Amino acid sequence: MARERAAWLLVALFAGALGYGLWNGSQLAKRNSEATTAAEENSEKFLLQVRQHLSRPGQALPVRNIAGYGSLALLPPAPLPGLATGQSDLVPGHENVVLWKLTAPADTRSELENPSHLLAGRFDLAFVLIWLYPLFLLAFLYDLMAGDRESGTLRLALSQGISPAGWLCRRALARALPVLGLALGATLLAGSTGYELRLAVALGVVLVYGLFWVTLAVAINAVSTSAAGAASTLGAAWVALVLVAPTLINLAAESLYPTPSRPELVAVGRQASGEAEKRGNELIDTFYKDHPELAPPGRQADFMAKRLTVQEEVADAVAPVLEKFDTQLALQQQTVGRWRFVSPAIAAHEALTDLAGTGYWRHRAFRSQVKEFKQAISDFYTPKVHRRQPLVLQDIDRMPTFTFVEEHDLEWLSRVGKGLAGILAFSAVIGAWALLSLRPGRLGLVTG
Amino acid sequence: MILSIARKEFRDAWRDGRFRWAAGIILVLLGVAVLMARQQIELGRAERAAATGMERDNWLNQGQKNSHSAGHYGVYVFKPVAPLAIFDRGLQPFVGNTVFLEAHRQNQAAFLPAQDATAMRRFGDLTAAACLQLLAPLLIILLTFGTLAGERERGTLRQVLSLGVHPRSLVIGKALGLGGALGTLLLPMAGVGIYALSRIPGIDAGGDDSWLRLSLMACAYLLYLGAILSICLAVSALAPTSRASLAILLVFWAGNTILAPRLASDLSQWMLPTPKLADFDAKVQEAIQKGLDGHNPRNERLQDFRRKTLEKYGKKNVNELPFNFQGLVMLEAERMANEVYDHHFGELWDQLEAQDRVVTWTGLAAPLLSLRSASTTLAGTDFTHHRHFSVAAEQHRREFVKVLNEDMMNNTKPGAHGGVAGRELWEKLPPFRYRPPTFAHAVSVATPGLAVLCLWVVAGWAALFFAAGRLKPN
Repeated sequence: MARERAAWLLVALFAGALGYGLWNGSQLAKRNSEATTAAEENSEKFLLQVRQHLSRPGQALPVRNIAGYGSLALLPPAPLPGLATGQSDLVPGHENVVLWKLTAPADTRSELENPSHLLAGRFDLAFVLIWLYPLFLLAFLYDLMAGDRESGTLRLALSQGISPAGWLCRRALARALPVLGLALGATLLAGSTGYELRLAVALGVVLVYGLFWVTLAVAINAVSTSAAGAASTLGAAWVALVLVAPTLINLAAESLYPTPSRPELVAVGRQASGEAEKRGNELIDTFYKDHPELAPPGRQADFMAKRLTVQEEVADAVAPVLEKFDTQLALQQQTVGRWRFVSPAIAAHEALTDLAGTGYWRHRAFRSQVKEFKQAISDFYTPKVHRRQPLVLQDIDRMPTFTFVEEHDLEWLSRVGKGLAGILAFSAVIGAWALLSLRPGRLGLVTG
Repeated sequence: MILSIARKEFRDAWRDGRFRWAAGIILVLLGVAVLMARQQIELGRAERAAATGMERDNWLNQGQKNSHSAGHYGVYVFKPVAPLAIFDRGLQPFVGNTVFLEAHRQNQAAFLPAQDATAMRRFGDLTAAACLQLLAPLLIILLTFGTLAGERERGTLRQVLSLGVHPRSLVIGKALGLGGALGTLLLPMAGVGIYALSRIPGIDAGGDDSWLRLSLMACAYLLYLGAILSICLAVSALAPTSRASLAILLVFWAGNTILAPRLASDLSQWMLPTPKLADFDAKVQEAIQKGLDGHNPRNERLQDFRRKTLEKYGKKNVNELPFNFQGLVMLEAERMANEVYDHHFGELWDQLEAQDRVVTWTGLAAPLLSLRSASTTLAGTDFTHHRHFSVAAEQHRREFVKVLNEDMMNNTKPGAHGGVAGRELWEKLPPFRYRPPTFAHAVSVATPGLAVLCLWVVAGWAALFFAAGRLKPN
């Protein structure tokens, strides 16, 4: 009776945790969405005012009025934000691209956050699924057989002619079913319209991850002589796979491929900018020699033209450092990708943030597309600046606008698929070991 | 009697293979964490020193230019790395390390290191603090869950008590013995830490008091682990079986280390919500334009200032003043803006600190929260230290803008927006030399966390004594 009460309590606690994780995640997604909507509305309001002004006959505006306000590059809301917060509370979901700040470090604020809260982490659905879901499963599964072995009822049960492996697996699945069911149900609730394929794969990840822990529990129970021993071993496995392995791999990735420091990037950029400013006239002369079609009357460059020319020099100077940032981060991610199979928690976390669209890959795609957008902005405005041409209404229609292109489904499917395959392979190895350990001879059930 | 029991427990603990393996693994992890952290700190300090030197050269060698342009060219300052981050990185990955100081505008520190990392960072860092906060309690649970409950199950508790051993003596002896076994682990841990810290050349953000801070940090961790030990023994004494004891302790551990930090953050956010960035920026801009009370437009205040200045000097026209009035207006405009920044940034930072205090006091339910608060404060990696740096950077900004505006006021023609200046003027701005908060500041901020830990120790030992009084062989 007490056991039944305890089981219901555990189920209720898990349901509560899932519900809270879902709600919390949705609140954060709503806040992020409000921030990007506000940025988008401001940008549209400004463009509308510009159009209205330029619609009047004979009206034109200097380039700096529009280019100085900036063009918005917006990352649309993530496909499944309720599934995992990922990096969405850390990296900005939009960037304002200003013509003469193309090489300046981007404003890194996405929203005001207490850094202590960032350190603690989010209580979102991914947290419940990666950290707590295994604990709840193990709470139901730590004593599948050891207690019966201790009390002597195991021999009696198996004397009915059932295979130990089959008996144990059925028992494990029956006990795990409520927890598995709740986890899958909560994942389903994190779905969004239009992303059914991602949701289906997410359900697969949650199921496979849960089954890994079920398999592990079966294997440990097969070899443990006591329930306390099984519980300790499973607890140690959880600590190793969910707490220790990810931090070790992270440490290894960051130590092997450290990203350059931002202070270094800033200092290099400033040095290049200072030197270029001093050579301002020489740079301008060289530029107009190379681009005579852009030279203004009398080759007298104004302040903005000089500034843009200096910016190009700075861009060349900081390009190697910026490239090193991207390269090192990509190498870190590769290391994580390669070693995620050491821990199903890592593989599942990577998969969930990838499916949610809040992980490394989508933000990398955004940064890459913003880089191209900056080039488009530069290509559009720079000739007008040098020729001192104001902007007219037709230019507003031709102005580059940013539209984020989501990656093809096959790309994320491939990544997530490999992660799932890794978890399944790990489970298969453990399952095979469990089967060997559950042979009647090994269990001491064969007589004669 | 107590000492005999303690000696026996100490020996038994070290004879337990599981304890030796677990302890060994934790020691290795801790050693790796400390040594890697030391490497990162040395690299970080070298990079910041190089960037600071380059930036100073950039400022001094910017050549002849309009002094107002120099105000917009600005200066970058970089946050130093606290030496005790070797043990507890705290908020370092999640706060900016670079501040751009420019005229007319107070900027927040930018470039969170966590933004230049993979999503794996959200699993947390392997630091000495994490090993002691998360893994050491598990070791204590492993060592203690069956200490009394297991003896009861095996029947040896009845035998011991029948020999006339007082339950309290038994419990104290076990606590001393097991505490001693754990204490022998802490010695090599402390040794590794002291060695690593001593190899960091010079003193940086920790000031001259790194060793004092480290000693107090060690006390905080001893309080935490002491409280955990007493609670584990009390549960083992009261639980009907060792299995029940293990289950209760693991639930306590999971609640304390996994759930509590996130739930406490959510609680503090719910009680004292952080303002939205767009609202904050809008309020600051509105206050700059309309005054802090919202009814005093900037233009009117500047007109009023102009009138008062002319009255003071008995002149009718600003061009008749014995200085460039533009410079004086810039100084006044900066003063007005600084009032706004002090008010709004002050409010924001006070809010964040209040949130952190809520989390610290939530440590009354989960001791890890108070320990983390005390540990990061003493390591110099908490929010109060970051705020101290941000305020110092802002003071430097105001100083550099004042230098430029005073030069405009005194050394340029009336009506000019700055004049051409050179290295002589740039050298008037001293380099940014940051002095971190004192040990006294760290102690005053860490006191609530330390007080809560003391309460946990008292409560833990009270519970243990209570459990000892109810100890029965059945």
